[in-house]
Amino acid sequence: MARMTADTSVLGAATVVNGRVSGEGALRVEGRLNGDVSVSGPLELASGAAIEGDVSAGAIDIAGTLNGDVNANGAIVIRAGAEVRGDLKGKSVSIEPGSRVDVRLDTDFSLDIEGRR
Amino acid sequence: MAGTVIGDGLTIDGEVTGDDEVVVHGTVRGTLTTSEAVSVAAGGVVEADVTASSVSVAGHVTGNVTAQDRIDIQAGGRLVGDIKSARFTIADGASFKGSVDMEV
Amino acid sequence: MAAASIIGPGTVVRGNVRGNGSLEVRGRVEGDIEVDGDVALGEDAAVNGNVSGAQIIVAGQVAGDLRGSEAVMLERGARVVGDLSAPRIGIAEGALVRGGVRTEGEAPAPRRAAVLPARRGGERSDFARPAPKPIAVPAPKPAQPAPAAVAAKPAPAAAPALAVEASGGPPAPVVPALGKGVRGKKKTKRS
Repeated sequence: MARMTADTSVLGAATVVNGRVSGEGALRVEGRLNGDVSVSGPLELASGAAIEGDVSAGAIDIAGTLNGDVNANGAIVIRAGAEVRGDLKGKSVSIEPGSRVDVRLDTDFSLDIEGRR
Repeated sequence: MAGTVIGDGLTIDGEVTGDDEVVVHGTVRGTLTTSEAVSVAAGGVVEADVTASSVSVAGHVTGNVTAQDRIDIQAGGRLVGDIKSARFTIADGASFKGSVDMEV
Repeated sequence: MAAASIIGPGTVVRGNVRGNGSLEVRGRVEGDIEVDGDVALGEDAAVNGNVSGAQIIVAGQVAGDLRGSEAVMLERGARVVGDLSAPRIGIAEGALVRGGVRTEGEAPAPRRAAVLPARRGGERSDFARPAPKPIAVPAPKPAQPAPAAVAAKPAPAAAPALAVEASGGPPAPVVPALGKGVRGKKKTKRS
């Protein structure tokens, strides 16, 4: 298991990680990560970068490709150009048009109207 | 300015209720109840009992119509059903088949 | 152009609404909506049923699925329990969704974006905002293109600030990868 020591860590564009990444602080992924990620701070997945694995973070900003479940304390943001597949749970989820998604959102709230669900 | 407008390509199958004015250019099948005015425009089709403050028919209405104030069937309009209202007019060129009750 | 319809704020429809043209809902519909034009659900609108149309814009509440042949856009006040599907999907910050969200189908040529009629905040759409700043990265690094489908890695990666252990498989290389055309500084004998 890896531990991050700096406040913000970066996996560069030419880096491939096969394994689990976890720790405190923020993480910016510009390369390829095959494995689960668990960080307490914000996680940013840059355009062109990819994560194959489950992600847990303070907040998540996705511009690249993510296949896996996502769990955030705060906001999940999916940018135009991103490609995301998996179950997403966060305080809020926003999706920019132009992204490609096949996701399940599980946000806690209730409707004022009686629903069929 | 009408609150509810059913455009000419639209069909509602069911109950329409509320306190908006209603203008029907399309089709309403079921019931239509409002505290405001209903206007069935030329081309509009209402197959429903209608209850409103006033009803103006330039299209086709099949159903019983009850209005607080008035019911007007315009030239070219057609109403098949019983009407109940304090006042009513049936224009020259309008078509009407049913009974009239002026006691509201 | 096909006609525009409005279900006013004081109107409740218990039944299905179908047909041609666009539809603005400011009241309540308990039933399905199926039109070939655009559908706009206002801030105070409530729909208990499925909605299908070309461009569907939601600022109110929906208990049901939203299927757009062109787009489904949820504005800040939207509250949706149901599945969303369209070639283009947008969910603005502040919108709440519980259900599946899938971009599928052919995106038609873009046209003027449908906007809701003027609403309380005065804004027309939640989708015209600039992106927030990315996370500040302290370590300076050379500008480099994303790897994508490039076979060669043209420049060395910035040394990561974290140490990573691989579980299974060889450890990830941290040495600069030499791509085609990049010569190392080794002395080579000419042949």
